[in-house]
Amino acid sequence: MFEKSLWVFHLNSGSCNGCDIEVLNIFTPRQDVERLGIKLVGSPRHADAIAFTGPVTRECLPKVIEAFKAVPEPKIVLAIGSCACGGGIWYDTYAVIGGVKELYKILKEEYGIEPPTTIYIPGCPPKPEAMIYAVGIARGLVKQKQKKEIYIEELDEKTKDMIEILFEEARGTRHFLPQIIVKTSEESKNES
Amino acid sequence: MGRFKLITKAISIGRVTEKYPFVPLEVPEGFRGKPVIDPEKCIGCTACSNACPPQALQVYDDLERGVRVVHLFIGRCIFCARCQDVCPTEAIKLTKEFELATLSDEDLHQIVELQMVRCEECGKPFDTFRHLLYTAKELQPWEREMMFLCPECKAKKVSEKLIFGKGGGYV
Repeated sequence: MFEKSLWVFHLNSGSCNGCDIEVLNIFTPRQDVERLGIKLVGSPRHADAIAFTGPVTRECLPKVIEAFKAVPEPKIVLAIGSCACGGGIWYDTYAVIGGVKELYKILKEEYGIEPPTTIYIPGCPPKPEAMIYAVGIARGLVKQKQKKEIYIEELDEKTKDMIEILFEEARGTRHFLPQIIVKTSEESKNES
Repeated sequence: MGRFKLITKAISIGRVTEKYPFVPLEVPEGFRGKPVIDPEKCIGCTACSNACPPQALQVYDDLERGVRVVHLFIGRCIFCARCQDVCPTEAIKLTKEFELATLSDEDLHQIVELQMVRCEECGKPFDTFRHLLYTAKELQPWEREMMFLCPECKAKKVSEKLIFGKGGGYV
């Protein structure tokens, strides 16, 4: 998507600082991400991408929207950490919006802004390498691994055999009770 | 520290930067990465959904289709490994996979659907076949006769049995 250098504006939208420290970690000599042309910038107007860390609290929502609008098109949103991806541990509390997906709903309803390309980076906090991998996806260096998995169980004969075996064992014991037949008093009189 | 000392030290240490996106990375022992449900082992006992702090793992019943859905959303997972500790069949495990970044929210879901048993009396689905068989093995053989009844029907049957005694009775 972005072939050239990606300049990132890092915005703390109510995070616990865990993800922020990991974001700073990727600029250390060990993971030195500036070799890929990535740079933190001080103003959203200079940025290509905006990185959210946190579940978007109600208090910071106006500032988040302001910063979001200030980033010029075309832009990329990096949702860093499980809080930004899906609300994290605070997903249903009253004080937070609950991740970037809810933020997009508000943006579309109130301002008519279409959601931009978003890269979700789950983790609590994500490993610095996981963020480099996400940037690699944005730059087209690596391929996406994660895919949706659905499994639907089909009953085979094994389970039916198992049930029969269990019942046969039960019938073999002397404690097994026959079926209860409830009769009214009239029926019992007729029989006798 | 003089400039010459600094340069000699830098040369002796050498290059520390990893070539990560182009070279695979080894994670340390005991790293808690992506949780994966083994669908062949899962019995749908709901122990993991009770233990999960952010409710990333939810278990709910689809009564119309008669299936129990074990729904894992990795986007909300905090990688605490409580589900792994609590699972009776070791079906859910945390792998060392950490490259989870996706372009779409949909790719972060894992869904396992398990067939449910219908009650013999009222026809309401109440438990999965696998969970029922798992618990039936622990029961005494003569206690298995009411295995295929839902909890409400089971309560009725037990009270009938208490009133009318062994082998049925008369009103």
